[in-house]
Amino acid sequence: MKLLEVKNLCKIFDDKEILIDINFSIPNGKIIGLLGKNGAGKSTLIKLINDLLTPTKGEILINGNKIGVETKKVISYLPERTYLNKQMRVKDVINYFEDFYDNFDADKAKKLLKDLDLNIEQKLSKMSKGMLEKVQLVLVMSRNADLYVLDEPLGGVDPATRDYILDTILSNFNENASVIISTHLISDIEKILDEVIFIDKGKIILQSDADKLRNKEKSSIDEIFRRMFKC
Amino acid sequence: MLNKLLKYDLKYMIKNMSVFYILALFFGITTRILFSLEQTIIINILGQISVGCMFAMVVNILINTIMRSWVRFRDSIYKDEAYLTHTLPVTKNDIYNSKFIQTLIFFVVGFLIILLTIFITYYTKDRWLQLKVLISTITTGLELNSTLFVISFIAIIFLEIFNAIQCGFLGIILGHKKNNNKVAFSVLFGIVAYFLSQSIVLLLIFIVGLFNSSIMDLFTSNILLDTSAFKLLIILAIIIYFLIIILMSILCKKEFNKGVNLE
Repeated sequence: MKLLEVKNLCKIFDDKEILIDINFSIPNGKIIGLLGKNGAGKSTLIKLINDLLTPTKGEILINGNKIGVETKKVISYLPERTYLNKQMRVKDVINYFEDFYDNFDADKAKKLLKDLDLNIEQKLSKMSKGMLEKVQLVLVMSRNADLYVLDEPLGGVDPATRDYILDTILSNFNENASVIISTHLISDIEKILDEVIFIDKGKIILQSDADKLRNKEKSSIDEIFRRMFKC
Repeated sequence: MLNKLLKYDLKYMIKNMSVFYILALFFGITTRILFSLEQTIIINILGQISVGCMFAMVVNILINTIMRSWVRFRDSIYKDEAYLTHTLPVTKNDIYNSKFIQTLIFFVVGFLIILLTIFITYYTKDRWLQLKVLISTITTGLELNSTLFVISFIAIIFLEIFNAIQCGFLGIILGHKKNNNKVAFSVLFGIVAYFLSQSIVLLLIFIVGLFNSSIMDLFTSNILLDTSAFKLLIILAIIIYFLIIILMSILCKKEFNKGVNLE
């Protein structure tokens, strides 16, 4: 069974087609780069997978289930924005995740937070945007999920932290799980990608094994992307 | 999962409302102490300030309970926090029910705090007797049981305000289905929902009036209702508001279950 299956998916806002007849599937155990320019439809697709938008047409299946309670149990989602209640402390958020997600590993979260020099007693309202993003990443990667969906995980962090984040992603998901990473910073993640999906103007224009694509085009994914999306 | 959602919704409200509860009770106590002292100009001025603050806090509790219920509803379902709310493994019904129960609990708690504050500020044996006599005068004329009258009166006010809160929820749900001016549409739909619900109350009472001439007098003349009509009106109002709250809740959930479109 496919882990994620997207069938004939369309999303229309104000008569504008944001996603047009999207079809693809993702197996277990892969790291997939969802790549495209700004406004290509990457975040819309990710939001649809996470029930944050309602599809105009089509369906999304996770392990054969339609989006709902069962799929949310196995998807760990990192949005591009800060979604935590700022009145909470870091330890409160850990308790919150432990309450709602059976697959959340609180000890692992505490260890990762310690590695990042983040104090679990600290109030979220006193943290910088970068610190909050790290807390969210730790929370998301501390779940033993089947599918991790990371929307711009490297967006607001410095290059040194990017390496740590990539390392955290790589070393914190089990081999049967898959990861979808949406980002503009292709060169930073290219080395970890198994597959790439190029999306442009609401359509998937390419889905390929990363190594095969590199060999075929004799250039890096970053270079292929720049060529394909040259303004 | 409803209990877990409710736990965090209640925590949020306790954090934000407890300061008003404490301040209302504090000014209730200070007012009582200040007015029990020998009255000098300064004590009297302080007493007046204290009673003003007490009333400000009482009004604050009422308005804050309503406003914070709406703000909490919007923030956790349609703003940044919604990215977490909608990715939790819970049903949309549980999300709505949690907000509904949280509002209900804090409305009751707020009401009890207001009563307690007023009791602390003004209670004396004489005033209590005066109040009893006043209620008894009203109820004797209407041939009603005093306790039942007070309970019914409070119940109607409670249901009326709770209906208004839920109209706000429906307004927020419908307003956020629009792609632009979501806040303006939320307010507009909320007001429309409220007027519609009030119109339904009136319409249903009017329909009952078609079969009961005493109730019809409410619409056709300025004469006071007779005792039996007044009793019937109280019962009707409670039943109708109760039904409207249930229907509004079903409508809210139906619209909410159709899904969200977050920015």
